[in-house]
Amino acid sequence: MNPKDVNNLLSPISPLHEGISSYGLSCLVTRQKAISSDELRKFAAELMTTISGTCIKDGAKDIGHIKAFIEHDNGFLHADTLGDPADVTVEGRDGEPINHFKLVVNSVIYGLTKEAVINATEASVKTVRAKFGLEEKTGE
Amino acid sequence: MKLVQIAGYLGSGKTTLILAISKSLSEGGQKVAILVNDVGEVPVDGKVMQEYGLEVKDIGGGCICCQVAGNMRKTLGLLAKNYEPDITIIEPTGIAVPNAIKEAVGPEVAKFQITFGPTIVLFDTTRAEKFLTYETLIRLVSTQLKDADIIALNKVDAAPEDKIEYSQESVQDINPDAKIMKLSSRTGQGVEEIIKAVRDFTA
Repeated sequence: MNPKDVNNLLSPISPLHEGISSYGLSCLVTRQKAISSDELRKFAAELMTTISGTCIKDGAKDIGHIKAFIEHDNGFLHADTLGDPADVTVEGRDGEPINHFKLVVNSVIYGLTKEAVINATEASVKTVRAKFGLEEKTGE
Repeated sequence: MKLVQIAGYLGSGKTTLILAISKSLSEGGQKVAILVNDVGEVPVDGKVMQEYGLEVKDIGGGCICCQVAGNMRKTLGLLAKNYEPDITIIEPTGIAVPNAIKEAVGPEVAKFQITFGPTIVLFDTTRAEKFLTYETLIRLVSTQLKDADIIALNKVDAAPEDKIEYSQESVQDINPDAKIMKLSSRTGQGVEEIIKAVRDFTA
């Protein structure tokens, strides 16, 4: 995983942002067996509910916004949730099955420490990726 | 260049509304640019808008109301110089304070002949109680609402009537001067009215 987290480099932060922590990561994901559009949508939706559920379990007071963007040669998907598992949005342009894609995830959470948001996001990405038989593509 | 802010707390429907507004303004012959700010360094909203064929500049890595205000000024300058839009729509992060963004833009106003369009703040009626009762959130959300010229009560398609009424009364108490509109970015209810406000507004 190649987390790109720069929040700590920036200041001063408005005092009105107190209690809100965010984390973003991007990685390349691959699978030998081609992934269909339908499966990719299921992956995106499950990723949203898993990150959200983990944050709630870890004590988040509110899921600010969790978003993902999936970019590949044949299309794109964007997904998001505000914490209600029944209300996960997945939209985009489907295409032919693919073997790799770029995944971007942003989690903005109220009531968790930054470290907790990082841990919840990274652990959830790993869990859901493994469930769908996906691997992180390294070396690029 | 007219500068329009579409602000509001996280998940209030900013991106969906901006997609609808930009498409309509572009079809009406206006040259539209969008400046999007995500909290994380890996922006999502800008990527989505680009996929829908819009002229987008992403600012990541922090909030333009405080952490990366200088980056926003620089990006606005580049947009004005290289793209010459009629209207630039700013989508700040969901935790941004609209007046702080206006102040940050200040030094560029004369240089790039910027006029301010309306500051539109979206309010998610489905989560009204949460925003108006949680200790820290109420400070942030109230500040956002106080800075609005227009408050759009969003997601009215998904909220029961009593929640919409509660939202309307609460936001009116917080900012009695703002024009209040009812909106559903998803169904399109109220979008035309917002577009008209963007076109007609003069500071």
